Amino acid sequence: MVHVAERVELGLRTVVRVSATGPPSDEGGAMRGNIAERRARARWRLAAALRGRITWRPVISRLRPAPTRPLRAAPSPLRAGTAGERAVLGGAAVRRAAVPRGVLARAVLAVSALWAPPAAPAHAQDVRSPGGGEPETLVVLAASSLTDVLPRLASAWRARGGLPVRFSFDATSRLAPQATQGARADVFFAADEAWMRWLEERRAVESGAARAVAGNELVVVVPSGRDAPGDAAGLAALGRVALAGENVPAGRYAYEALVRVGVWGAVEGLVVRGGSVRAVLEWVARGEVPAGIVYRTDAVAEDAVSVAFALPAAGSAGAEIRYWAAPLTSAPHPAGARDFVSFVAGPEGSAVFAAAGFRVPGPPPGTSGAAQAGGPGPAPPSGAVPSPASAVRISLLVALIATVAGLAPAVALGWLLARHDFPGKTLLSTAVLAPLVIPPVVTGFLLLTALGTQSPLGRLLAQLGLPVPFTLVGATVAALVVGLPLYVISIRGAFEAVDPLYEELSWTLGVPPRRTFVRVSLPLALPGIVAGAVLAFARALGEFGATVVLAGNVEGSTRTIALAVYTLLESPSGRETTWVLVGASVGLSLLALLGFERLSRRQRRRLEDRHAR
Amino acid sequence: MRAEWRGWSLSVEVPLGERALSVTLSTASRAVGIVGPSGAGKSTLLRVLAGVERRGRGRLEVDGETWLDSASGTYLPPWLRRVGWVPQEASLFPHLSVRDNLGYAGVEPERVLEIAALLEVRDLLDRRPRRLSGGERQRVALGRALLSSPRLLLLDEPFSALDRPLRDKLSRLVREWAEERAVPLVLVSHDEEDTRVLADERWRLVAGELALSGRAT
Repeated sequence: MVHVAERVELGLRTVVRVSATGPPSDEGGAMRGNIAERRARARWRLAAALRGRITWRPVISRLRPAPTRPLRAAPSPLRAGTAGERAVLGGAAVRRAAVPRGVLARAVLAVSALWAPPAAPAHAQDVRSPGGGEPETLVVLAASSLTDVLPRLASAWRARGGLPVRFSFDATSRLAPQATQGARADVFFAADEAWMRWLEERRAVESGAARAVAGNELVVVVPSGRDAPGDAAGLAALGRVALAGENVPAGRYAYEALVRVGVWGAVEGLVVRGGSVRAVLEWVARGEVPAGIVYRTDAVAEDAVSVAFALPAAGSAGAEIRYWAAPLTSAPHPAGARDFVSFVAGPEGSAVFAAAGFRVPGPPPGTSGAAQAGGPGPAPPSGAVPSPASAVRISLLVALIATVAGLAPAVALGWLLARHDFPGKTLLSTAVLAPLVIPPVVTGFLLLTALGTQSPLGRLLAQLGLPVPFTLVGATVAALVVGLPLYVISIRGAFEAVDPLYEELSWTLGVPPRRTFVRVSLPLALPGIVAGAVLAFARALGEFGATVVLAGNVEGSTRTIALAVYTLLESPSGRETTWVLVGASVGLSLLALLGFERLSRRQRRRLEDRHAR
Repeated sequence: MRAEWRGWSLSVEVPLGERALSVTLSTASRAVGIVGPSGAGKSTLLRVLAGVERRGRGRLEVDGETWLDSASGTYLPPWLRRVGWVPQEASLFPHLSVRDNLGYAGVEPERVLEIAALLEVRDLLDRRPRRLSGGERQRVALGRALLSSPRLLLLDEPFSALDRPLRDKLSRLVREWAEERAVPLVLVSHDEEDTRVLADERWRLVAGELALSGRAT
């Protein structure tokens, strides 16, 4: 019975093999990436030509640098800088390398980045000047609260002869480190001054180049139609308040404002942290939290929330909410970047800002405070640093509960899929495995919809004392759902590895199926089941995307290792803590995988009886 | 001890991949041997008798009871048939010791010791199956089937891993055991020699067809 041996092999190997796929060979990967990108660029040119956005002449000139030249041969911009033609080629090659995933391509990118440090911006800029094959587009990194207004500014600027603009919106705290780490961007919009100074200190922005472009105001929002507190003191009675993350400007502004009005102490324990202002707004709009603190402009843009009251504007300079714009020193289009910033800071820009509900600074300060202060800037933005011990504890607790709670369903599903045929089996199998391929963030969103306080199921759970969103329950549910596919695959494989002959024999010996399951199938599959549990545990430890959406990022309650690391990445002060957590995360995960491997081997050995002969 | 054995009759069709096994057989003998080349469907026939082959369509009556009747939807599940099935693969439960394998059907320890002595596996009682030789496994599997108080013994090449002297010795032993307790048996083998000792009536199965090929004494 050779097929038995095969089945055993398949049963557990399949899972192991998932992780065994290696990266493609370096050169092949780079070359493929190169070809893929050439195709993409050809498509772009075609689409652009059809839209009439470019003429044929630039298309031909772009085609000129022979793109088939291997990446390895790309001359360094430094050396090639003297010879015009080769410089263009070099720039093109470097730019192209930004997309392919091959290791070689990455190495080339890293090496060429060394050749063009920000210290020599003018030189680097010459090399990367247009004509290298890249469509001329200004890339703008901007605080997410500017999502609605900046595209309007960009089209106004374009109408005045500016370049097309592409945006990357995120929390300032996440964008700033990107800007210092070689992001190919031209302009930076920060939601506060501290982060702009931080960039200046790192020479990502030239000292004195930053300009205040608009102001904003913090407001407390509630879901439309809900009872709203009249003032900050009423916040504590709401049970939960959503704020942006500790290092996100909106989060820090909110913290400062709450401290200033003297309610921070009462509210601190109720705070749920969203990744950005937009996340906070989304939660409030969906009614998952009774109140949130966002910018007034965000509140205006969202119909599902209403403004309860505004938090008092700051008296002290540090707390004033002001957006800053600056060209980046590494900008591929320095002239365009400077022009865009002055346009935005100018009267036309101010008009657009004002129309969108932003406050426009009366007499614009013109240059950033750091330059004026002269002395060393204030300490880099810092917030409450997540506690590593708490993160590890929560991670272990969540993973453990999820693993234990998932055991019975995983065994039942694994058994059902391994041994039974029924209509809809494929459907069930697909549904169970779906979280394996659906982005965890999407899974989290679907879970929030299904189990949020606005859904019947969520209300029922809340009445039972198990409210899901922003609680440990939510973190556990997220970890469970995302971990279940691996759990079920593993257990299904374990059951499939058990020869049905054993069960049939047990039946003929007078033991009916249910007791046969307990006496034969379960013990024979046990190491595989435990291996599945270990794997699910490891996956639960690593869960991030679904957790951050469903359970938020609440220090001491749902902030797992992954969330803590994510939070710390925005905090320049938490380097050491980050490494502690990264170490814990890697260590725990590897330990779990080691356990899985050992248990899988034991499973194979347990069934050895039949193959030894 | 039952005085009367009404025999068994079988008329089933089992789909086996491309072809189908179609068997009609009726016998009153207490010791039936079925021989045939490998792949002829001998083992499938025993699986139908044991009730673990659910693809079979047709009728099976054993000792006057209907175990299978596709027309009326009758099917007696294996755990109610009380057959002592020894499959070709000596499939001992790998997670249980020899002692627990022998006593799997809920047997008193004395009877386990008794049969272990009879089959000469007493020294192996606390071993796991993977530490047994092929012949030892076959003996333990046989003992387990004998201990389940079967109404019908189904032996599928039970001695294939044994050498000739031991094979004959065990055959005689099983024969005696079965006659003593009046337990009818069906033996399947590719080796006519085995059936000569154990069976009174021999059927030959070739390419899905059965023919009576000989009757002892």
